Amino acid sequence: MTTSSRSTDRPALEARLGLRLAGSLNATTASLPPDVAERLRFAREQALARARDVQRAACAGDRTTVGISASGALLLGGFRPWLQRAAAFLPLLLLLAGLMLIRQWQVREQVLAAADIDSLLLADTLPPTAYSDPGFAEYLRSDPQP
Amino acid sequence: MATDKELSDFLKSVEKRAFKRTVYAVRSDDSALDIVQDAMIKLAEKYADRPAAELPLIFQRILSNATMDWFRREKVRNALMSNMSDFDAAEPDGEFDLLETLQAVEGSLGAESASDALSRAQILRLIDAQVAELPGRQREAFLLRYWEEFDVAETALVMGCSEGSVKTHCSRAVQALAKALRAKGIRP
Repeated sequence: MTTSSRSTDRPALEARLGLRLAGSLNATTASLPPDVAERLRFAREQALARARDVQRAACAGDRTTVGISASGALLLGGFRPWLQRAAAFLPLLLLLAGLMLIRQWQVREQVLAAADIDSLLLADTLPPTAYSDPGFAEYLRSDPQP
Repeated sequence: MATDKELSDFLKSVEKRAFKRTVYAVRSDDSALDIVQDAMIKLAEKYADRPAAELPLIFQRILSNATMDWFRREKVRNALMSNMSDFDAAEPDGEFDLLETLQAVEGSLGAESASDALSRAQILRLIDAQVAELPGRQREAFLLRYWEEFDVAETALVMGCSEGSVKTHCSRAVQALAKALRAKGIRP
């Protein structure tokens, strides 16, 4: 066999040798210890049981949907999550509305208190000592009213 | 959609090879059994509605991912780092003759007499040990390609690499096995 023909056949030879070597692993795999074989059997049965559970659950889900439709409550059932999500924001909205009312009430109270003070000051008589106050004298000079 | 019997038959046909393949990777029977069980259950839960013909590929992919998850969980860095040896330079052609190794393996494994049977058992154990010694990616490619008998494209899909990488891994794995067997005295 020449070098060139060897290199040409190399992938085929590798594949043949690979298949032969891998095939020999079946012999060792066939003689697994009994406890391993038993655990594999148990694992397989667990998996099959799980597959049956999933199928049953899927079938039960289908039946439930049909039942809801037949009873006419599908709309409620379908909208309930949306309403629940919206209801979760209701306390927050109430809290914000309450804070705004409190703020309005506080501003109104401040305005009323300032008006009371102003009216009391204007209604009261001017004390004589006020004319000795330089600030009051300046106020009188700058008063634009005649 | 795979029937209950088809799923059962598939799992029965693949469970021992899956276990062995996982043992090669994790080097622990108990861990391998857990991984195979997890892979079986995941297949049954998520993919039992797929056609039976698709199950082998899906199962091998699940098994590979489950094995990788096990490595991540266990933080066995050495096992992952061993994959780096895949980048080692390949032996140059002509170092040894693949055909001679093939003939030697076929001659040894086709033995009939009692003494030959003993020799055959030893060779099987030797091959088993040498496969276990292969670098992770080479071993995975070798087992998927030649043991599970997937084609190159399917093997690449399961391994998550290119077809060229699969060919390289397979070639190096076979070369390494042939070299190891010849080093152990298996000659024509």
